[in-house]
Amino acid sequence: MTTLILGLVLGGTYALLALGLTIQYGIARIMNLAYGEITLAAAFVLVFLFQAAGISPLAAILLVGPLGYAIGWALYAVMMRPLVARSGGGSRLEVDSILATFGLLFVIQGLLLMVFGSNFTSIAYLDQGISVFGVTVALNRLLAFAVCVIAGGALTLAISRSRWGLVMRAVALTPSSAPLVGIDVNRVARQAFALGSALAAIGGTSVAMYQTFSATDGVVFTMKALVIVIMGGVGNVPGVLVAGFALGLVETFVATMIDPGLTLAATFAIFLGVLLWRPQGIFGRRA
Amino acid sequence: MLEVRNLSVRYGKHLALDDVSVTVNTGEMVAILGANGAGKSSLLNAIGRRVQAASGTLLYRGQELSQLPQHLLVASGIALVPEGRGIFPRLSVEENLTLGSLPARDKRNTGQRRELVHAIFPKLAERRHQIAGTMSGGEQQMVAIGRALMSDPDLLLLDEPSLGLAPIVTQEVFAALARIRGNGLTIMLVEQNARATLALADRAYLLEAGRVTGSGTASDLRNDPAVVNAFLGGSAA
Repeated sequence: MTTLILGLVLGGTYALLALGLTIQYGIARIMNLAYGEITLAAAFVLVFLFQAAGISPLAAILLVGPLGYAIGWALYAVMMRPLVARSGGGSRLEVDSILATFGLLFVIQGLLLMVFGSNFTSIAYLDQGISVFGVTVALNRLLAFAVCVIAGGALTLAISRSRWGLVMRAVALTPSSAPLVGIDVNRVARQAFALGSALAAIGGTSVAMYQTFSATDGVVFTMKALVIVIMGGVGNVPGVLVAGFALGLVETFVATMIDPGLTLAATFAIFLGVLLWRPQGIFGRRA
Repeated sequence: MLEVRNLSVRYGKHLALDDVSVTVNTGEMVAILGANGAGKSSLLNAIGRRVQAASGTLLYRGQELSQLPQHLLVASGIALVPEGRGIFPRLSVEENLTLGSLPARDKRNTGQRRELVHAIFPKLAERRHQIAGTMSGGEQQMVAIGRALMSDPDLLLLDEPSLGLAPIVTQEVFAALARIRGNGLTIMLVEQNARATLALADRAYLLEAGRVTGSGTASDLRNDPAVVNAFLGGSAA
């Protein structure tokens, strides 16, 4: 039972992170390898705001989320837009964006190391336990879980129900048809990239609330989000949410029942299995 | 309403359209006839801003369109149904129509337009929740035309609506076009199916190897021996 609840909490963070990555890849068509760095940067900013300015993490989310959006917007305008223009809508964008964001990864990582140092960081915030179904869970974890569920749930609803979401899905599924109905694909791509960055940042704040992290952990977040996206099926929002929770459960299970050192190995074992047997994702449909 | 002057389109070294001039007046239905590779689609795609013309002007109600980004065209009142239809095959019929209504200049009459589209294509009402890509070719063509109508256009550009359709389905689509035209919409269509097109259109241009080789009213062209031989299979209809 403990494993189940802790796994769900971790899975909530993972699902939110993967949702942002799949929006960036599915709509803006940019595979962002620096994704986890945005997450980490947000986590550090939250810690800074909490320790230096005394701003409560919940209030900080309201600050960090829009900040993530603005940074994503700027990154797209400065760095991605020229790549998009050069690719002319072709598959070259995928390769170019992987190389460019791989470089960006080290730039942000270097900045984080310089500003925040290489020590492990964590905060003591609401770490008293409360009882959930007979299991004692730290309040900060529950709060982080709630943040992920609210942000992820609201976004999922917006994508599946609203007019805005319909435009997003139209661009994700058939970008070539979108201009026929007056959609500016570049504008939507920029919005999607910025939104993905905002989710990365909100995911980062939830990480900061209950985990210990260091400036070089970004790539682990990127890889986990990528594994979840591929497990859930690229562009498949419900699939990604389910896969995110599944990965959180598997990791927690492996850590408590077998060995904490094996969590990453378990993640990638699942990843390899999916790639070999169901490349369209566990919940994805065949192309 | 639309005036195309001295338009040329190039794909690398290949000259697909060579100095083509075409006029469409308000309320008319104008057809562009020609064989495969004559440059019909290039002409429509240049007007629809899907390809950039090498030279020439596109005047629509006095406004120069040749530098307009493609996504802004539909808001100026021109809706394009391109070759291959350009629908959203993984979205439902209803979602396709809703997307079509987004660029409409007057959003208050969206409900009315939906009723109109459903009246012209009753199948789209029956199958509103079906995923568009799972429908037959003719039904997908109806989705494409219906979606274009949802944007409340003044000028409808159609690229080979009969392509790949069975004769009976083509009849159904052309009957719908006749109704749409009856509602006062200006239509420019590109077709290989000259017989059905000339029965419906007011005027037509003949396109061969990227050049306009003839034009006239549909009734004149139907009785022109050269046109009968080249496009109508030898015997006058």
